[in-house]
Amino acid sequence: MRLWKSWIVTTKDLGVFRKNKYILYSLIALPILLGVLVPIILIFTLQSEATTLTQAQLTEAATTLVNLFTAYFVIIAAILPTIIASYSFVGEKLEKSLEPLLATPTTDGELLFGKSLAAFIPCVGATYIGALIFVIIIDTWSTINLNVFLIPNVYWAVVMGVVTPLVCVLSVEANVIISSRVNDIRAAQQLGGFIILPIILVMVFASTVTTFPLVTLALILSGALALADVALFYLSKATFQREEILTKWK
Amino acid sequence: MIETENLTRKFGSLTAVENLNLQVNEGEVFGFLGPNAAGKTTTVRMLCCLISKTSGKARIGDFEVGSEKDCLAIRKMVGLLPENVGLYESLSAYKNLDFYGKLYEVPLQKRQENIERMLKLLDIWERKDEAVGNFSKGTKQKIAIARALIHEPQVLFLDEPTANLDPEASKTVRDFILDLKKEKRTIFMNTHNLDEAGRICDRIAILKTKLIAVGSPEDLERGTSNRKTVVHLESVSDAILAAVKKLSAVKNVRTSENKLILDVENPEKDNPELVRAVVKAGGDVQFVTELRSSLEDVYLKLIREAEAQ
Repeated sequence: MRLWKSWIVTTKDLGVFRKNKYILYSLIALPILLGVLVPIILIFTLQSEATTLTQAQLTEAATTLVNLFTAYFVIIAAILPTIIASYSFVGEKLEKSLEPLLATPTTDGELLFGKSLAAFIPCVGATYIGALIFVIIIDTWSTINLNVFLIPNVYWAVVMGVVTPLVCVLSVEANVIISSRVNDIRAAQQLGGFIILPIILVMVFASTVTTFPLVTLALILSGALALADVALFYLSKATFQREEILTKWK
Repeated sequence: MIETENLTRKFGSLTAVENLNLQVNEGEVFGFLGPNAAGKTTTVRMLCCLISKTSGKARIGDFEVGSEKDCLAIRKMVGLLPENVGLYESLSAYKNLDFYGKLYEVPLQKRQENIERMLKLLDIWERKDEAVGNFSKGTKQKIAIARALIHEPQVLFLDEPTANLDPEASKTVRDFILDLKKEKRTIFMNTHNLDEAGRICDRIAILKTKLIAVGSPEDLERGTSNRKTVVHLESVSDAILAAVKKLSAVKNVRTSENKLILDVENPEKDNPELVRAVVKAGGDVQFVTELRSSLEDVYLKLIREAEAQ
């Protein structure tokens, strides 16, 4: 596989996304909203308890809550590809630009990888922007009130650095498969939304587990996600056959 | 340059193309005519390695269609203008062409030169940075043609190249195709426009799942119906009619106003004798012309015959 070929497809898709205000606003709105709202809610909750807790207790409570709310950004990384990956493939089909694209001397794998990368980069980027806002607000509050930087910590680094991109890849791949079976962008987005449900369940389950240290749990989850990503990559590659696309994509 | 041998494609129980045998020469403009769902687009897609064949063989240049290792080489040497232009509407004309130039591995400087040359030729250079979505259908079609040519392919597949164009733009595209012919590019053109096919194609094939006929426009016009001679006279008399009916070369004769319309076996050989007989019978000959079937007549006749079978 020639990665430079994939990169040509990626940069073209990123250029198309940049020109689409709906994609741009949808992509940015959710992470920024959560990046601002979640720490504000969290700070209000902690402030209301500040008078009844010691500083050590407040720091521990704040750390627990921050770790819990970090899961929101994993969910965002799963949601955003439903917006962009559905445009990436179904959009191409709707613009009827697939046939000339498939007629170029590019392999199925190169096209698939390029398009997946084009969906992955902005989704992870937007998630990180939201997470950065979250970190700035939380750490500003914690340094003023607790004299510590609450994040980044090891758990946060594993979740944001490993779990989040792996979940994003999973969602992109799932959306590639979905977009090969549906007629329009809205249907792709609605079906793509279902991918979030198991991820939310896993994150809620993980937050209730107390028998494992959080970091160990995040690493176990990362391993499982990596395996799922590999399995879905082969499945999406099997789905992304140019003959299938030209003759059977509806 | 393009060769097919019993090329067949089935979709389940539906046969889209059956035992297609074609040979398209290098530098030839080859017209592919047929009604909707005749298998024209399927043929082009097979030849461009976009879909597989069910059976038979096909070659483009030295490469085997259907062979996994040859497919990339084929895609590199052919250009395709599909039925739907399929441009990226939010990107500019320049960016659309640049993207495809990169995918076709055209070096940067050559790519810039080709884009400028083609956009200038098609009169779009001044609007090169405008989003394609703002352009008319005709202009989009021109950009799509430029896209098919960005890598200077040896073989060009055009699916309805003038379908969306006004007469002036159609002429620009036709002239462009004729210029490409001068550059010895092989052009395989699907079209419904019989007049256009007659004007620019060296040879034409008529397809309806199976190949019905192939030949030059002139050969097709001549080959499928009797040639008729029309003799324009000052007036037609019974004596003239009787005189021409006596001639063994004349198979049938009818009149229309002051004209005799005659079926003759070999006009080049028989017409002089025919004219002499008319003059001898007192006819004043004004013109002698040939009444040929148009390509449209030929096409409709062949398609109806194929449908009747």
